[in-house]
Amino acid sequence: MKKLLLLVFALMPVISFAQGFQVNLEGEKQIGMGHTGTGLVQDGASVFFNPGAVAMLPQNYVQGGISPLLFKSTFNPQGTNVEDHTANKIATPFTFYAAWGPKDSFWKLGLGVYTPFGGLADWGDNWQGKYVLESLNLKAIYIQPTLSIKLADFLSVGGGFVYNRGSVDLTQAIPLTNSAGQDGQAELKGTGKGYGWNAGIYIVTEAGITVGITHRSEVNTTINNGTALFTVPSSLSAQFPQPNTFSSSIPLPATTSIGFGFYPTKQWTLALDVNMIGWDVYKVLAFNYGTVEPAGLQNTVEQRDYQDAFSFRGGAQYKTNKNLAIRFGGGYATTAVEDGFVSPEAPDANRAFVTGGLGYTFANHLDLDVSFEYEHVMSRDQTNIQTQLAGTFETNVYIPGISLAYHW
Amino acid sequence: MKNFKLYILSGLLFIAACKPEIHTPTLSKGTANFSRFIAVGNSLTAGYSNGGLYLDGQLNSYPSIMAKQMAQVGGGAFNQPLFTTAQANGSGYLTLTGFDKSGNPITAPVTTDLAVRGEYNAPGFGTVVLYTKYTGDIENYGVPGIKLYNITTPQYGNYNGYFERLLPGDGSTTVLNTDYLDFVTAKPFTFFTDWLGNNDALSYATTGGAGDVLTDKTTFAQLYELSLQQLTASGAKGVVATIPDVTSIPYFNTVTVAAINAEVASTGLKLYVNALVSGTTYAPRLATNNDLIVLTFPTSMIGTMVTTPYGPLPYGLTPVTPVDNQYVLDANEVALTRDYVQSYNATITTQAAAKGLAVFDAYTYLNNVKLHGLEIDGISLSSAYITGGLFSLDGVHLTPRGYAIIANEFIKAINTTYNANVPLANVASYQGLKFP
Repeated sequence: MKKLLLLVFALMPVISFAQGFQVNLEGEKQIGMGHTGTGLVQDGASVFFNPGAVAMLPQNYVQGGISPLLFKSTFNPQGTNVEDHTANKIATPFTFYAAWGPKDSFWKLGLGVYTPFGGLADWGDNWQGKYVLESLNLKAIYIQPTLSIKLADFLSVGGGFVYNRGSVDLTQAIPLTNSAGQDGQAELKGTGKGYGWNAGIYIVTEAGITVGITHRSEVNTTINNGTALFTVPSSLSAQFPQPNTFSSSIPLPATTSIGFGFYPTKQWTLALDVNMIGWDVYKVLAFNYGTVEPAGLQNTVEQRDYQDAFSFRGGAQYKTNKNLAIRFGGGYATTAVEDGFVSPEAPDANRAFVTGGLGYTFANHLDLDVSFEYEHVMSRDQTNIQTQLAGTFETNVYIPGISLAYHW
Repeated sequence: MKNFKLYILSGLLFIAACKPEIHTPTLSKGTANFSRFIAVGNSLTAGYSNGGLYLDGQLNSYPSIMAKQMAQVGGGAFNQPLFTTAQANGSGYLTLTGFDKSGNPITAPVTTDLAVRGEYNAPGFGTVVLYTKYTGDIENYGVPGIKLYNITTPQYGNYNGYFERLLPGDGSTTVLNTDYLDFVTAKPFTFFTDWLGNNDALSYATTGGAGDVLTDKTTFAQLYELSLQQLTASGAKGVVATIPDVTSIPYFNTVTVAAINAEVASTGLKLYVNALVSGTTYAPRLATNNDLIVLTFPTSMIGTMVTTPYGPLPYGLTPVTPVDNQYVLDANEVALTRDYVQSYNATITTQAAAKGLAVFDAYTYLNNVKLHGLEIDGISLSSAYITGGLFSLDGVHLTPRGYAIIANEFIKAINTTYNANVPLANVASYQGLKFP
């Protein structure tokens, strides 16, 4: 009598990164104005906001900025008065832009390095959803060389190639207890890459209103040969083969934007942006492991079924004098995550945000810009259809930012 | 520049203090009063796990988990007859020491730090193991092995070492004249859980219908009514639970006829069982998938040569040498047990409704888990032995995680019936089965 018991540990780490992970922090001047800029010519950040507008920049630019981001999420498990909080960890979205062309020429070259997607959430190993997620650190760094051409005084176009270097580091508890009473743990760590493009058109209308239309393509990012580390009780090590690798791919969605700039007086600039983010491409998330085990670790394919999301942004800038600018703005964004798919990686919901900023120009060549953004992700009471983690998520995001731009 | 850094730092610190505030629901005891909550029941109530009663299991009993949650809505102290840390292993229990090459679990009994003080031979009954006495306050009255049938037996303490342990007097030398029902209702209480009745069916089923009898349906109904009357006599409110279908537990679903037949297929022989025909008549026949083999069946016996009037024959594989009755709950016995359990449950739900008590329908709940599994907070659970995460190594009793789930089901029933909002326990913080 041998195989009388069939012991199958059908325990598949359920990983679901990339969700509502768009980080809209691509330039301090623009953040100050509600993250508008598709229809404006402000500085080198046009490489991101509208490559078509880069050729319209009156000067050349080299600039860098950083927006330390504090993502504070709270979870109230259904049927309790417990509140679980994410740890205070600061993500560091950053930007670097350069835009250069010969003086008064019809073209400019640009380079942008920025972080349009990312997530940093650390729920700890002692909360109700620890088997769904302990911590996640996800980063996508886009590198974008760009060419912009002025076709006429009122019309310019531009486009760039995007190389994405993405990285993920995710941990979750595995519900297998060892003799000391501790949970197992899975850690998935890896880097990947993807390619895409970015194009825009910029128009100065006869009425003096400026208009920008841009499209940033989907960047399908693939992680191959990531490290899959499983810590489980030693009697079950055969079920979770080690060392192991994983591969996965996530479509970072396309964004189509239209933006307008209005200039009622010499001091005032008003801007309006509408973005459509094509999250609809995110249908499933598949994880494949280097070595699988029929009675244990299995490849997974999980349904995601995201929907397209929209954001509406408005902002204003007031120049008190030649050197000082005061900025403010705000906006509203709809969620990409349908009911039943909300999970603790980035507990998404519709969100509203307000921003403010100050800019100071030193000696005509150096801009110092600071910005602050407060974002409130609406409270959302959900039961995840896959993990059955049920409760209410609510999130606040606090983002100060600072940048320096040198222009000549 | 120094000041500037300071501003940024203090700004960040300020932000770090601003957590989003969720409007959490207001907790409430509703129309219930948990100031003294008692738990009435058997091994499941006591926190029995892995084939024994021991401190760690007691600390994770479902009543103790419930009491922790009730404490947030005015619940009082909840004392359990805990074993001491020096005798933490209580009756002893099973641990998993690993898996053999075929993937079968290897278990070993824990025999150190026990609370066994001796044993004696109860006349007309058999050996009773005696445990170190507990003399403190008690709110958890779970007594492993007790049937509803036993609750009015005056000398029950002389036959059950777990009950003897709670009573004054040495059961091996004196007649203990306190019945269970009087014992648990002696001190005033405001709320109770009552999960009695499992053993009235389970003791018959786990011995393959050979070692015990099913409690008569009418007797069950009379005793249940009596127990509820006494429990509610002073106005206490409570929650009762139905009795799970015995076939919903891994004890009966792990070693299967199909698996054994597959193993012996090469010999051309098939499994025979000694099955119930009717009444008390048993006869050998070919085993079917409706016959349930108990978890404790020593499968190594199969095929070993047995001396018979027809010469030596392989055990379990001929009509002359069927698997013994005690190892098989055959199809007719399954049907009989189910019929009794359903009758008991009709009694429980009807009488609970008449008293306005809350009901946790464990029968339906565990059948659903068996059919569909259970997903909670990212944990996939099922009724499978060892891998399922709910049941302990004995295949009958639960893991701490399983007991936490049961505690939450009781709480949900309480919340519904008494318009209360007792917070649920965090299932993820209770352990599953321990693996080496």
